[in-house]
Parts: sequence; structure tokens; C-alpha cells
Amino acid sequence: MEVPYSYLPRQFANLDPFLEDVRELAASGDFTLGKPVGEFEERFANLCGLPYAVGVGSGTDALILSLKMVGVGPGDEVITSPNTFVATVGAIAMTGATPVFVDNGDDYTIDASKIEAAITSKTKALLPVHLSGHPANMPAIMEIADRRGIKVVEDAAQAILASIDGQHVGSWGETACFSLHPLKNLNVWGDGGVIVTRSAEMNEKLRLFRNHGLGTRDEVLMWGHNSRLDSLQAVIANRLIDQTESITQTRIDNAAFYDNAFSDLGEYVVIPPRRSNIKQVYHTYVIRVSDRDSLHHHLMDKGIRAKVHYPIPLHLQEAARPLGYHEGDFPVCEEHCRTIISLPVHEHLTQEELDYTAGTLREFYTG
Amino acid sequence: MKVPYVNLPAQHAPIKEQLLNAVAKVIDHGRFILGPEVDEFEERFAKMCGVKYAVGVNSGTDALILSLHALGIGPGDEVITVPNSFVASAGCIAMTGAKPIFVDSQGDLNINPDLIEAAITPQTRAILPVHLSGRSCDMSPIMKIAKSRGLHVIEDCAQAVGAEYRGQQVGSFGSAGCFSLHPLKTLNACGDGGVLTTNDPQLYQSFKELRNIGLKNRDECVAWSNNSRLDTMQAAMLLVKMEHLHEWTEQRRSNALLYQRLLDGIPSIMVPSDHDYERSVYHTFVIQAQYRDELKSYLSEQEVSTAIHYPIPIHLQAAAQNLGYCVGSFPVTEKQASSILSLPIYPELTEEQIEYVAACIRNFYELRTGDGSPVLLSAETIR
Repeated sequence: MEVPYSYLPRQFANLDPFLEDVRELAASGDFTLGKPVGEFEERFANLCGLPYAVGVGSGTDALILSLKMVGVGPGDEVITSPNTFVATVGAIAMTGATPVFVDNGDDYTIDASKIEAAITSKTKALLPVHLSGHPANMPAIMEIADRRGIKVVEDAAQAILASIDGQHVGSWGETACFSLHPLKNLNVWGDGGVIVTRSAEMNEKLRLFRNHGLGTRDEVLMWGHNSRLDSLQAVIANRLIDQTESITQTRIDNAAFYDNAFSDLGEYVVIPPRRSNIKQVYHTYVIRVSDRDSLHHHLMDKGIRAKVHYPIPLHLQEAARPLGYHEGDFPVCEEHCRTIISLPVHEHLTQEELDYTAGTLREFYTG
Repeated sequence: MKVPYVNLPAQHAPIKEQLLNAVAKVIDHGRFILGPEVDEFEERFAKMCGVKYAVGVNSGTDALILSLHALGIGPGDEVITVPNSFVASAGCIAMTGAKPIFVDSQGDLNINPDLIEAAITPQTRAILPVHLSGRSCDMSPIMKIAKSRGLHVIEDCAQAVGAEYRGQQVGSFGSAGCFSLHPLKTLNACGDGGVLTTNDPQLYQSFKELRNIGLKNRDECVAWSNNSRLDTMQAAMLLVKMEHLHEWTEQRRSNALLYQRLLDGIPSIMVPSDHDYERSVYHTFVIQAQYRDELKSYLSEQEVSTAIHYPIPIHLQAAAQNLGYCVGSFPVTEKQASSILSLPIYPELTEEQIEYVAACIRNFYELRTGDGSPVLLSAETIR
């Protein structure tokens, strides 16, 4: 049986309603910051329970624009964790600031208890990543940030609708940055991103900054980027956004199924802590396993498209060489990189596919 | 007669089904990010420009930023460009942390090569000439200066896909050429898009990595960077449009020719026409007109929409305050800013529409008294 990691062919099996919307857009010619973008921004802000959302070119751009608008630049330091997608760190570097890493905890997000030791006089911002759709420990992070007078930007690329005690990600930091990449829980037909914020002033600044700093067609109030969510992508997002809650619930159910199926495999499989006050939205379903590479091969051989997010920690990437880190600097992260595996968890999996995946993993360990 | 300034629905109507089919094909294969259509587009774009390599990115602005990054230009560096351009030409320099240095333009709205040398300092790393309005800059002297002073040339080709200088296409002279595929460009996506060109295999490699977060493969990151990829979806639609580009460009050129003929001999205006060294693609058709604002309102009364590219020179924008320029710093650009007017030039214009626009302009000047007092005209007078 083939268990695909990507669900796109299933998601868009019935294309006609989407194409109808695209046809309408083409007839209007409203391709840049058009009506669909405004509509999407309003709906996305509502979904997050926040007043403002700003559509941008990608989740990466969401981070770059946010960091620059909270005042991060050359000479500053920004703290994040080394187990994330490279864009988190690339975004910091793009502002001219230096990325500073802090090890993560057993839930794959930054270990808040280690942040304080990494703060220097140059620390301008904390950039916690809600990796795999699990919110970072925001109450603890905000306590530190507020006490030390440091800004917080949330990397929520993988975490739409995740929450702690019912409070959504995106509601703690100055801004939170979401990705609408085709493999995200809310996805479009190419690159796209969105920034949410509680601040009217930040909302205004981001709107200028994503559009060349243009206050009007002709007036440039500040130097800026060009990073706009395409109207075309907003049209797709508007069609999908109402499904976000149900997509999330299906992923949570699929994860619960795996958790239960692996509950007696403790010798081989470590399921990260599942805390009752945390709503994890399972952009990825990541467990730690013994003999990871062999299991990965075995699953692939059996047609199950498992993945590793991510095999090389950021501090050991070639790009990080000038930062001066070494193997051993972040033992938890490094251990995770050797043992983590992501099983397909998307909302288009059938029960048969879930059974097959869980059964194949069990068979690998118990023969 | 109504003459809109742009008419995208008219461009898309005859090819709409082809575009939708191209979109559907992308959805079927599901490779929304750097899919096969991006490769195909890049290959065909490079071939069309007569360069070795092309790399699709998220916008013309990003093309400029990425080429500056790839050449290692950043804080402390200076880059020379013009104050009469779309803001992105200078904004991209500021985004890298480098400082934009302006040089005045000449009669064709492009950089005046004679003024470049005086703007070079020890911090200068590159010259960023803008092929504004679809017309090539005078590249020979620019390349000569760059070579003798050890500077990079990054061509801002945002408005000039297919424009030629002495038979060679823009985007093939400098270290890199930066094109925009914005919906209002001559080769246009249905959203933001851009493309980089180069003949340098090393730069090509850098561009490919830098537009994709510095990733060499799925897991290995060789340089920190941003994410700036041309969407597969846009590439698929661009491939459809590329089939028509030659014909569209020819139509723009023949529209320009018709304007040139019909507006000939009006002393109060300067009408653009090709230098002997260039072949323009007329992204915009920018006349320089006496009493510009009155002419613009008059045309608007006659239902002819026009635009101004651009009314405020970049050095006088609020964003440029820190650069230390003032009114009078660039007299040619400043004078042009008050006289330039872009007439509708898109391929779908009819001959009747162009004749009507030209007749309106001619009438405006015939009826306008020469003593500086505004002329009182009504729609009836001209009909």
C-alpha cells in the first residue's frame, strides 16, 4: 500500500469550484493586493482571534518583515532554537542580526529554562518556534521577555490554531508569522504567508513595509520590500479557510490514533509529552524511535512516505559555520535529530492507511 | 471614446482557457514549489534573452535584492542608480543595508553615463542602471566605466524584457539582469513574479540557493537566505503568455510608431523614439509635455486615462531623507518629473483609440493659448 506524505492530489481532486474562483479573478485583473487579499486578511485575523492580519509572500518573509519592523538589524542578536526549518534562522540573518541558539525541550520547542543564559546586551528579540504545531512555552517566554525588555516574534509557520489554555498562538508576541505553503494545514497553490498582530501601529508598518514603503501610489514613506500575498493565492485560501478547524481536528484524531497504537512500544518509541492544556495541531506527527534510519528505510520500502523534520540541526549547517557552534553544543536537539521521524498525519489519510502505517511500524520492532 | 490606461481582462480573454488548463495541470502534478514549469520557463527565458541562465524568483524587487546579496553587497557599500525609477530600484539597495547613490538621468529618462564617474567613491560596489520604460540604457559607456573601476553592473530590466542595445538584449550585459513579471509588465504573471539572468555559472548557483533559503538540497543549508521562488502556477501561465510575447511587443512598437506619426510636429511635447543603438519594447510610452497637469486632466475629461511614472523623484521621497539630497540635486530628473506623462500603449489598443488619444493631445495644444493662461476646453469643443 502507498501512504503518501503529500495530500495535495486528494485535496484538489474536485478542482472546478477553485477554477471558477480563479476565472472570476482573471476577469477582474485584480492580481495585486486585490479584494480577495483584504477578505482573507480579515478572515484569518478572526480565525486567530486577533484584530489584524497582513498577507505576505511567504512564511519566511513574514519573519523577515516582522523582525525588521520590531527593530532588529545589524549588530543585534535574536534567540531561537536550532531544531527548526532553516527559514527561521535565514530570516534572522537577512536582517543583518546574529542568530543565537538555545536547546529545545522534549516537546521539540525551545527550552524556556535555558533562554536567560543566552541573553546578552545585544539580544533584541526572542523567536520561539511552534514546531510541528506544538506551541512553545509562551507564558514562560513572555515572562522572561517582559522582564528583560526584549521583543518576541512567534514563528507559527506550522501552528495555525494551536493554543495554550485556550489562548491561540500569535496572541503573545509583537507579531506571529504563519506560512501558507502547499504542505501547511491551511495551504495555497504556491508560496504565501501571513502575519498577525494585536498592534494597530505594527499593522500599519507591516502594510507599508510589504509594499515598497508606499503610503500612496506615489509616496514612499520608508524603504521596503515587495512581499505581497498574491490575490490568486488569497482566492484559494478563502475557499479553504473554513475547513481549517475540521482539518486540524482530523489531524489531532490521527495523532491520537498513533499515540494509542504505539502506547505499548515504549521500549522503541518515545511519544513526546501530551499536556492537557495544550492544543497541538500536528502539522507533523513526530516521534522518537530507536534505529531510526532502518525504520525509515523499512517504512519507505513498504510505501509509507515518512520524513525527518529535520535531520541536520541548524547550528551544524554549513551556513552556520561563522557562528562558531560545534557538535555537542545542543545535546537534546542533536539527539532528536538522530531519532525523530515524521509519520503521515494529514487529514486525507484513510483509516486503512493509518492502520497500515501503525502496523508496519509495530511489525518492524516486534517482528 | 473610452481609453483605459490598462486593460488586463482584454489581454486574458483570448487565452483564458489556456491559462486555466495550465493551472489545472499544475494542480494535477501537485508540485507547487519549484515544479517542472519553473525549469521550463527559466530555460526558455534564458534562451529568449540570449543568456546562459535564468532563475525565477518572487518579484522584480527580490531579483534585485538577491543579486546584490549574491555579489556580497551590504552595509557600508554604495550602489549607484537613478532617482527616476520605481522605488524598488533604490529600495532593494537599502534592504541589503547598502546606500543608494543617485546619478541624474538624460533625455531618454535613463541614467546619464557621463555623470557616473563623479559619483564613484571607495565604497562604490556596483552600478544599477534602470532600463526605464522599456528602453535600454546606453550600455557601452556604462560597461566601460564599470570595467575600469572594478564595479559590478546589475541591470534593472523590470520594464524591459526583450529590449535591445546594439542588437544585444538587456539583462545580458551586467553580472545580473533583474526582470519583473508583475501583472502590469509586458511579460506578466497573474501576481508577483520576477526572474534573474546571468552568464556566470557561479552566480547562477548562488541565485538558485539564495532564492530557496540557502538550501543545496532538501536538508543542507549552505547560506542563510530568504525564500523567493517563482510559483510553479505563475510559471505555467507565463509559459502560455510567452508564446504571445513577440506579437505583443511588436504591437506595442507599432502603437508607438503610430503615436510618433500622429504626434509629430507638436512643439510643446517630446515624443519618445528609438536611439539608433536601441530597440525599445515600450513598456510605457512616456511623452514629456508642457502644461502636463492640464493636459492630463483634459485627457481624463475626454475619457483617456494616463499615468505618471513617476511624479516624485526617489531622492525627494520621505524614505530618502537620510541620504542628504534636496530639491535641485538632480535637475533633469526633477524637470522630467513635472513634464512626463505615460500614454496608454498596451497591445490591445485599437488604432482608433490611438488616433483619438493623439487627436485629443493635438487639440489641447491647438486650443491652449500660448501665454500661460489655462485654456477653457470642454468635451464638445473637440468632438
